[in-house]
Amino acid sequence: MIDQKMQIKHLYLRAGFGLNAREWMQRKDWSIKKAVNELFGQAEKSKPLATIAPVNGGIKSEDRKERFKFRTAEKQLVKKISVDWLLRMADPRESSLMEKMSLFWHGHFACRSRAGYLANNQLNTIRKYGLGSFKELVLAIAKDAAMIRYLDNHRNKKNNPNENFARELMELFTIGIGHYTEQDVKEAARAFTGWNSDKQGVYELKERQHDYGRKTFMNKEGRFNGGDIIDIILEKNETAYFITKKIYSYFVNEQIDEPIVKELADSFYRSDYDIKQLMLYIFESDWFYDPKNIGTKIKSPTEFTVGIFRQLNGVPTQPRALLRVQKALGQTLFNPPNVAGWGAGKYWIDNSTLMLRLSLPTSIFNSSNLAFSVKPELEDMGKKRIRKLSATIDLDPIIEMTEGLNTEEILETLQIFLLQSPLAIPQKRIQSFVLEKEEREKFLLNFCIRLMSLPEYQMC
Amino acid sequence: MKRRNFLKSSVVASSTMMMPAFLKSGFGQTKLTSRSGKILVVVQLSGGNDGLNTVVPYENDIYYKNRPTLAIPKKEVLKLDDGLGLHPSLGALRDLYNNGELSVINSVGYPNPNRSHFRSMDIWQTGSASDEFLSTGWLGRYLDSECETCPVYQAIEVDDGLSLAMKGAQRNAFAMSNVNKIRKAADNKYLKKMSQLAAPEEHNVAYLYKTLADTQQSTDYLYEKTKAYRSKITYPKSAIGKDFKQIAELITTDSPTQIYYVSLGGFDTHSGQKKKQHNLLKEYSQAIEAFTKDLKSNDLFEDVVIMTFSEFGRRVNQNASGGTDHGTANNVFLMGGKLKRAGFYNEAPDLTNLASQDLDYDIDFREIYATVLDKCLNANSNAILNGNFKGLNVL
Repeated sequence: MIDQKMQIKHLYLRAGFGLNAREWMQRKDWSIKKAVNELFGQAEKSKPLATIAPVNGGIKSEDRKERFKFRTAEKQLVKKISVDWLLRMADPRESSLMEKMSLFWHGHFACRSRAGYLANNQLNTIRKYGLGSFKELVLAIAKDAAMIRYLDNHRNKKNNPNENFARELMELFTIGIGHYTEQDVKEAARAFTGWNSDKQGVYELKERQHDYGRKTFMNKEGRFNGGDIIDIILEKNETAYFITKKIYSYFVNEQIDEPIVKELADSFYRSDYDIKQLMLYIFESDWFYDPKNIGTKIKSPTEFTVGIFRQLNGVPTQPRALLRVQKALGQTLFNPPNVAGWGAGKYWIDNSTLMLRLSLPTSIFNSSNLAFSVKPELEDMGKKRIRKLSATIDLDPIIEMTEGLNTEEILETLQIFLLQSPLAIPQKRIQSFVLEKEEREKFLLNFCIRLMSLPEYQMC
Repeated sequence: MKRRNFLKSSVVASSTMMMPAFLKSGFGQTKLTSRSGKILVVVQLSGGNDGLNTVVPYENDIYYKNRPTLAIPKKEVLKLDDGLGLHPSLGALRDLYNNGELSVINSVGYPNPNRSHFRSMDIWQTGSASDEFLSTGWLGRYLDSECETCPVYQAIEVDDGLSLAMKGAQRNAFAMSNVNKIRKAADNKYLKKMSQLAAPEEHNVAYLYKTLADTQQSTDYLYEKTKAYRSKITYPKSAIGKDFKQIAELITTDSPTQIYYVSLGGFDTHSGQKKKQHNLLKEYSQAIEAFTKDLKSNDLFEDVVIMTFSEFGRRVNQNASGGTDHGTANNVFLMGGKLKRAGFYNEAPDLTNLASQDLDYDIDFREIYATVLDKCLNANSNAILNGNFKGLNVL
């Protein structure tokens, strides 16, 4: 069993994005129960995001140039929302659990949003239900304008059904392949006909396009609408298993422990798909803190970049530059590669992304030019360079944490603070890279950078 | 005149000294495979290049009627054959055509075409059907199935990052925009030292250290290979010019790399197409001109096949902004010193009977992939493309 302070660190890394040194010092003797209460308490206090209005009231212009202008403005809004979200994830005053859970559901309900108000509304939906009822979450997503448009449900009409949403709902969002037939997809599509939205992105049932007829779905018969379909899907405990397995893989370990997942799935099902209860169960279980689950997950680009700021108590000074870094590392918020979403683990790693990750801490804290060009959006002209990335940091927590320690002890302390994975290198060799004569702050920062530049720092 | 020697099997020699201890015990030994077949260079024109103004049907009234101000005037077209010619910027391709070194495949596409950049580019890069969503690239799958012990630079993308086309389930290509740049990034004393000393226990950390070591070794290897050699040909100063120069230098110095991937963007010409496309095609043509000249001067052009594509063509009619909108089928160019069948592979696109201003496809793009996979790369195209594509008798 790993010691208390490492358990606390593990919990806050998996349920959030890590802790800064002061927070860790404050919490390292807490019981898991106390820490979990804090995490969930903070989540409960989080507020919805401020509403964002559609550009031009959502009304399509007759003029081509104007349409282009509005589209560009909407894309800029999505960028702003992404930046705000990244900053929230890194902000110790915000609820890490809320942001992490939102990131998970955002990845699960993969959806490309190219308009600010649509992205914002969807994110608010996820925040509202993400730690609540999975049933209500799915229903809300089915009525979400961004998702409706992304999966063509606005084209799903009584006389001309479009199966895209119904299919992905089952294949990717709820029960998974192998538990429904093609006929089920067809019938479910009928049930979702007419599920549309108005110009402001508010859900609207277009009654004349809705098929009110009798449907046969998963061996049940009735005049089903979309909500009924979701209820029937969730009545199957395969759905609980599918979702639980995904949550386990993301929050605990890519290697699935079948008996544990089955136990969690049964509990999730019996609780009527209570997400909060499931997450509590996970975070309060002994097995969650088993060494085989500690430091074994390769951080996603978001967890990695946000984590740097979170742990070092820093704020990026050009947050927009961060978006290019995210793109270069393969994870752009509101823009998954396809509806199956992002992968995990080794999926994130190739020679280019690895070298960029390893050089990022140095670039940020030495405020140097990254010299990396990102591929253009296919509508754009050319590659875009990532220019300067820098941050303002408050090193006080680190200074406090290492007060009165000698060089070797400092390194030991920082290593334990920053890394989840044991050093694969003798500590002394790292020491030789940091000049002792430097003034204390610089000296500490350089040690941190050295540690964060190692592959071990990619793990959480 | 330098004749290419196909390399025989040998172990990567240069940087074994720097290999971390945990890898020396045979964990990740790579072998240079002897290369048979040809080197494939894939050129991606991003944004949907307008095919009708690239390969111009200069005797077709329908073309001129639909593009009153955008059609290429007959007298400006570089005339080739059968009423088809090239955009005036494509001088280099006209020369290749006259030498029997260019094959133009018309009307390439796929059933149920998708006009979203995003989707169509994914379809082309993953080699999928229009309703499939694959998460690996066609060349990535080539690496998975044929390159278990190849060095990671078996396939190089000349860019800072990898396209989906070059990512497989188990293996990825190597991304580098130029050797000096990656060398600068890898020339990190700290990382080199740490990499040497590492003895990771956990398998994910070991994977990261292995990837780091592979990257460092590859960088050293490619740098050593090319450091003494600079091409004597003058390349255009454009980004794509520089990319091609880098490729030529790697080929000439005998890098075992079998696949290169390079892209040129900006082709999404919804407005102001005339000037934009003119400039882009000129950049492309000048880069190709220098590249082919370079290869020929070293007697290497016969060992190389260049494939150029775009994720879709554009509509027949011009729009109200002096541009064209997303379309469907497009042409593909294959160039090489030893084509089996040069010239126009098939007929010009039929501009009559157009239901919705969209060109119909004649050749499925996966037939072309099958051709290069089978003939250039000596691979099993059926397995990689998950389908039976016989290929074209062009290579």
